[in-house]
Amino acid sequence: MTEISALIDGFGAALSPVNLLWALLGVTIGTAVGVLPGIGPALTVALLLPLTFRLDPAASLIMFAGIYYGGMYGGSTTSILLNTPGESASMVSALEGNKMARAGRGAAALAAAAIGSFVAGTIGTVGLTFLAPVVADFAVGFGPPEYVALMALAFVTVSALLGRSILRGAASLLIGVTIGLVGIDQQSGDARLAFGLPSLLDGIDVVVVVVALFALGETFSRLMHGTGGETVEPVRDRAVLSRSDWRRSWPAWLRGSALGFPIGSLPAGGAEVPTFLSYSVEKRLSKRREEFGHGAIEGVAGPEAANNAAAAGVLVPLLTIGLPTSATAAVILTAFQSYGLQPGPQLFSESGPLLWTLIASLYIGNVMLLVLNLPLVRMWARLLTIPAYAIYAAVLVFATLGTFASGGTTADLLILYALGLLALLMHAADVPIAPAVVGLILGPLLEQELRRALALSQGDPMILVSSPLTVVLWVLMALALALPLVAKTVRRDVGRTAAEEEPEQEAAGPPPAPRA
Amino acid sequence: MSATADTPDPRAAQHPAAGERAAQDPAAQPSAAPPAGAPGRPPAAPAPPPFDGGSDRRGHQATAALGALMAVFGVVVLADAASLGDGVGAALVGPGGFPMVVGVLLIGVGAALAVRALAALRTAPAGAPAAELKGRFLRLAALVGALVVFAVVLPYAGFTLSSALLFTAAALLLGAPHPWRTAAYGWTLAGVLFLLFDVLIGLSLPGGPWGF
Repeated sequence: MTEISALIDGFGAALSPVNLLWALLGVTIGTAVGVLPGIGPALTVALLLPLTFRLDPAASLIMFAGIYYGGMYGGSTTSILLNTPGESASMVSALEGNKMARAGRGAAALAAAAIGSFVAGTIGTVGLTFLAPVVADFAVGFGPPEYVALMALAFVTVSALLGRSILRGAASLLIGVTIGLVGIDQQSGDARLAFGLPSLLDGIDVVVVVVALFALGETFSRLMHGTGGETVEPVRDRAVLSRSDWRRSWPAWLRGSALGFPIGSLPAGGAEVPTFLSYSVEKRLSKRREEFGHGAIEGVAGPEAANNAAAAGVLVPLLTIGLPTSATAAVILTAFQSYGLQPGPQLFSESGPLLWTLIASLYIGNVMLLVLNLPLVRMWARLLTIPAYAIYAAVLVFATLGTFASGGTTADLLILYALGLLALLMHAADVPIAPAVVGLILGPLLEQELRRALALSQGDPMILVSSPLTVVLWVLMALALALPLVAKTVRRDVGRTAAEEEPEQEAAGPPPAPRA
Repeated sequence: MSATADTPDPRAAQHPAAGERAAQDPAAQPSAAPPAGAPGRPPAAPAPPPFDGGSDRRGHQATAALGALMAVFGVVVLADAASLGDGVGAALVGPGGFPMVVGVLLIGVGAALAVRALAALRTAPAGAPAAELKGRFLRLAALVGALVVFAVVLPYAGFTLSSALLFTAAALLLGAPHPWRTAAYGWTLAGVLFLLFDVLIGLSLPGGPWGF
């Protein structure tokens, strides 16, 4: 078992005091930003990207992975206590979790979420450990045509699954791809969409785009629709599970993990679908169906586990094929690139020790997160009492600081504001932000592979369907175009069950749309 | 029918399908009137109708505007791509090839968004009243103004002062109750950030005439 020995070596490196410190820093920051509404892991990693100039790869990648996992844990705290999911994959936990918190069972809900996240995160990381080398071995044979087909498939699934409708998802993706076009074309040296402006010639920095789309868009949108009166449910007792809570939760955790990891590791769109599926499954299998809609612990445990297992699964295509399927994964890919590393099958052979250190740090990070989130959950809950105006004003300061730190000038700040206004329009039009980030990062890679493929075939487009695998991928893409209908049906199912059994719904109205 | 459009599912308000259903029946709009199907439901929340709903008039107008903007940019991308050479030999994809595809898709998707939004606009329930909307846009303009001032002033006035002022302005616009206390928070945050990033990590931030 070469994986095992490589993983043990990875643990050796990840357990060094310095790397433990980076992991702890990462999971702490990740939990904090996951808890705070309006700041997600993608934005945080983007803001910290300038640190890659100063840190060695292992340190910053361990920290970013910690932020990624921590964001998932923290998001559940917010959705349970505030009913405003911090990130989109936590939406389902808000359904049952917030009901439990209202009924004074917030602590149990938080514990079910945290332990479920730990169980699923660990199962997902085990899955990653064994699946990633297999996928990488398989992907070694991929040529440009396979990459083109894979990325096209990812584009369709990301548009379909990260958005409310495929049209809006596609719009977002295209906006990202267009922004990615700006600057000097690497192959020909021609300036594209620069309009003679020197600050556009180098392209628009990923940090600037991600910060504008998430931080400024969110703040502007907040300013436009005012600060709603949200109430934070207090956590009354310690976060422990009773015996019956345990009995009800553990099968849900396992089922959620079993749903989340495989779906997350497909080159499709991230963690949302498995959480909705898990909720449906738990409701169908539960012996206490009547509790669903009033705070059933299975309805927190299952989706939360699915969410975290999927988050681990997303790392499989990211690390083995270089295919990010969520906004955070896309930004982490940029971090790899800033070290001159291109995630993909070669990464396992060329930078194996780094990757195994990273994977080992995921196991460690999960343990840290369990410790951080179970006994200390009240401290995190206190973060929710920070008034919204302070959070968003601070986000603006961080956003401008991040832009400036990434080599920014006054012109970059003005580009930041312009893109922020674009993001506001996207919010207002209910166009999701995450696909734009994926398009921004994947677009240039897709173009590169496309041009390589056509150079190989001397311009014959038939090369794109030259192998059986490419044909399969293009067929899958066609199927993925039909998939939103399925996903929509599942979501409606979730909505209906909750509506049927919860006629006396709260007056607060639907919370604002979460942004991944 | 209204039961579906009115689910506690947080997604429902943003769900395009729910939005379209709500568009067909104004009564199903959660913030417009409590639907008959849910008698126990208290009247609409005091919170203003969500700006980013996508289901009221403002949402459709924003969608149409975004679609139009995308289509216009699609034309720009196509024009820019056409101005580029064909690359090395006509058989290979040059720098303009991929942007051509992107431009066409931008026009297509943008037009589709705009057309659907304009169609939905006819039957959409009214959004926020015009006066309130004007206030929102004034606040937005003030914040953008503060940001532009920040960008211009930053190299001269230094990071700490500019950021403290930006924090204070943004927080007050977002509804902070105590101006002086907010300003103190702003100074604290800016000072801590300067110490952390400039002094500790060594990212050099603009210092201004007084060095901080």
